[in-house]
Amino acid sequence: MNRALKRLSIAVLAMFLLLLINVNYLQGFETSSLAAEPNNARAYYGQFEYQRGNIVTADGVTIAGSKPSGADDPIKWQRYYSDGPMYAPVTGYDTIYSSSGLEYYENAVLNGNDTSLTVRNFIDLITGKTRKGANVTVTINSKAQAAAYNGLVATLQGTGRVGAVVALNPATGAILAMASFPSYNPNELAVHDGTQLIKNDDTLQHAEGNPLLNHAINTTLPPGSTFKIVTSSAYFNQNPGSSTQTAVYSPTQLTLPQTSHVLTNDDGEVCGNTGTDQVPILYAFAQSCDTTFGSLGIKVQAGALNSTAQNFGMNSSSLKIPMPVSPSNYVIPASEALTAYSAIGQYSDTVTALQEAMFAATIANGGKLMTPYLVQSVIASDLSTVQSTQPSLLQQAVSPSVASNVGQMMEAVVQQPEGTAYAFNANNEGVTIAGKTGTAQNGANNSGLNDAVFTSFAPYDNPTIAVGVIIQGGGYGATAAAPIAVQVIKAYLGIR
Amino acid sequence: MLIFAVAIVGFAYASVGFTLNGKIPSSMPEYMLAFIVIMVAGHLAVRRFAAYADPLLLPLAATLNGLGIVMIYRLQEAGKNGNPGYGTTGLFAPLSSSATLIQILYTAIGVGCFVGVLALIREARTLQRYTYTIGAAGLILLALPALLPASISEVQGAKIQIALGSSFTIQPEEFAKLALAISFAGYLVAKRDVLALAGRRMLGVDLPRARDLGPILVAWGASLLLLVFESDIGTSAVFMGLFVAMLYIATSRTSWLLIGFLLFVTGAFAAAKLFGHVGERFTIWLHPFTATNIQGNAFQLVQGLEGMANGGLLGKGLGAGQPYLTPLVQSDFIFTAFGEELGLAGVMAILLIYALIVQRGLRTALMVKDPFSKLLAGGLSFMLALQVFVIVGGVTRLIPLTGITTPFLSQGGSSLVASWILIALLARLSDSARRPPPRSIQDEGLTQVVTLT
Repeated sequence: MNRALKRLSIAVLAMFLLLLINVNYLQGFETSSLAAEPNNARAYYGQFEYQRGNIVTADGVTIAGSKPSGADDPIKWQRYYSDGPMYAPVTGYDTIYSSSGLEYYENAVLNGNDTSLTVRNFIDLITGKTRKGANVTVTINSKAQAAAYNGLVATLQGTGRVGAVVALNPATGAILAMASFPSYNPNELAVHDGTQLIKNDDTLQHAEGNPLLNHAINTTLPPGSTFKIVTSSAYFNQNPGSSTQTAVYSPTQLTLPQTSHVLTNDDGEVCGNTGTDQVPILYAFAQSCDTTFGSLGIKVQAGALNSTAQNFGMNSSSLKIPMPVSPSNYVIPASEALTAYSAIGQYSDTVTALQEAMFAATIANGGKLMTPYLVQSVIASDLSTVQSTQPSLLQQAVSPSVASNVGQMMEAVVQQPEGTAYAFNANNEGVTIAGKTGTAQNGANNSGLNDAVFTSFAPYDNPTIAVGVIIQGGGYGATAAAPIAVQVIKAYLGIR
Repeated sequence: MLIFAVAIVGFAYASVGFTLNGKIPSSMPEYMLAFIVIMVAGHLAVRRFAAYADPLLLPLAATLNGLGIVMIYRLQEAGKNGNPGYGTTGLFAPLSSSATLIQILYTAIGVGCFVGVLALIREARTLQRYTYTIGAAGLILLALPALLPASISEVQGAKIQIALGSSFTIQPEEFAKLALAISFAGYLVAKRDVLALAGRRMLGVDLPRARDLGPILVAWGASLLLLVFESDIGTSAVFMGLFVAMLYIATSRTSWLLIGFLLFVTGAFAAAKLFGHVGERFTIWLHPFTATNIQGNAFQLVQGLEGMANGGLLGKGLGAGQPYLTPLVQSDFIFTAFGEELGLAGVMAILLIYALIVQRGLRTALMVKDPFSKLLAGGLSFMLALQVFVIVGGVTRLIPLTGITTPFLSQGGSSLVASWILIALLARLSDSARRPPPRSIQDEGLTQVVTLT
């Protein structure tokens, strides 16, 4: 019997050895493959284990944060957004399934998994400090952002149309404001109840104006007359000897080559009061004469318009802020007639609000286009700076002298009596605003509402802010778009 | 040793409290006091009734039992008092606030039975007299749930319990296993010579006579009936394994092992083909991660595996994991909860504790003199080992998953009480084995002392 018992003991030993080997394999070698298994609830809840970092504006307003969830919630932290709709284009949303905006593109630092935080996490582990994600400081100025969003709401509320505002620091490319309308409240997408989340998401997906889309960087609309910045830049570039006072051909009616089409100014008015068909380019720019710039477009040719537009950042699909920016488009027309239209921001020209701000920022910064960016710095939970963005030159778009000429003309738009935005010359506590209006015609036979566009910078002598505004169907740029830009400038510069 | 056991349990209990609420649980003093009183009572009973019993058995069992209580407390607290938890109804329903208390109560009953067995059965051999009575009782206990209506006996698709009222249930098979082990031992001691010697040799294997196949066929039939009528594969395997192992110990004939094994595999294979729920076990064992299985029948297994993977080498710490994501983790899957919170280190320690208990049992079997005690000790030890193998192997996907309780750890009274009775029997047997022979009645003065130089 003892022999059998001994053999049985060996069998028992083998059984326990098998179990031991199996748990070793399971917990020692298979952990990562099991963790990567889809539907792994623990890996899923693991993302919510640590407190996520905040998103903070440059002037210290926390626009996204995490607080402890209620009891019996397996997701430990509840994401919250203050002034959600106002900042949604910046923060994006962070649902239990997916995220967008900075929540998506800065996820690694916000949740603390980024390699730059590994050492700090390890120190936290050793010292017993609770691990926390890093805070992201954005370049946004809360006052400018509030002015931009409130302006959009006041203009577009209830219309079903979309609009966007972007403000840049011309010298650095830092994005000071980025507002989009219609917007959404990211708090509605931060709910932990999956059913409620899907319901809220479904409502937003089908809402008028696609609120989930960041219209400031992902919706393009015709630039209208603001494109004359590009056309005149191309002209000055080709004619280094010319100045803002150089007279250019400005007929009341421009018959387009090889067609019977006639291009007129907005109300068929005469451009300038010179009695001739020659007008200083500054005057034509300030009054925004379409015949003048249509003719100039034909003169400089589509190729030059295209390369200048690209120098200002158009036709580029590689721009990231870090969210990818939809390219603003200039399509080389097949005929001179269409070139004339493309030179005044019609035909197939479309731009984002960010591109509008980049037009003004380039001119304000002496022709240097700085790379736009949204993330100022990343601050770890121990308050040390982990990453910080250094301004970088995207490209020298135009020469300083060209920029100076165009800048003078933009100043005239607001400061000269014949300027389309003359209404905004006063009450600015001595701050001079320069800008360019745009009113883009829409629809078959221009039956649709005009899109209102405005691009501007201030103060003229020492620019610190450039603002681009696009209001779909807003009518005249000076009526619908310019007031918002002026409010943003005033808010940023602290003018009452 | 017992002090160590109690200290481990105490530290584990405090650790849960610190992790969950940042302080020692308010229930700790009374619960730990109750636990200490119960275990000291067990210890005193051993001193009184079985002074020579293996000193490791009680502390080892107490450690496991205590860790089980701690884990049940930890699971009870999930989703309460601001602690993370998951789900409110059905399979994820949180344990009632009195789960820990009830488990301690069962511990008291279990140790009570332990003391009772030690006090009443002063010599294990006396059990041999009741071979057939105990055997019949065991079979009745085993068959009872199958005969009762499903409303009383069904739980999670298996007909294995007897419900007395709404909250109190007994799983008679836990006790049936013990009864049958005793009965087998008695029967085999009587019949072992004929089973061991008669027969002829064929292909190098000693084959028994056809008419001696009777008992093994009866055991096989009973285990298959268990499989078919109670949907309880795990117990069926343990039952069959127990019988075959004891047969082997009794006869030392490899042919019995082969026959038993072949019969079980054939039976299980036929059952897998004939009955959906048996075949399904194989499917989820082989392919747990397919899209349909992972959301279906393999959900619990996969959650358990992912929980253990989440624990890794050192575990998340008691109270810091998410074992509550595994449905019904407090019963069959409690081992995975330990895997998640104590890690590889913890589960290896738990497995080694089991291995130690089994080793002490087998050692007793080797030491004890009379054949009945030998068989009983060997059978009981092997049964415990097999039970651990079946459930731990099942939840770690070493073998197909079959729902049986994890001895001492799982929530539930029947299993705990039966496990304590098993320990009591082993203690009694080891007491007989280690008891020094009676003093010689010879006059020592007459013994010649020779000094060898």
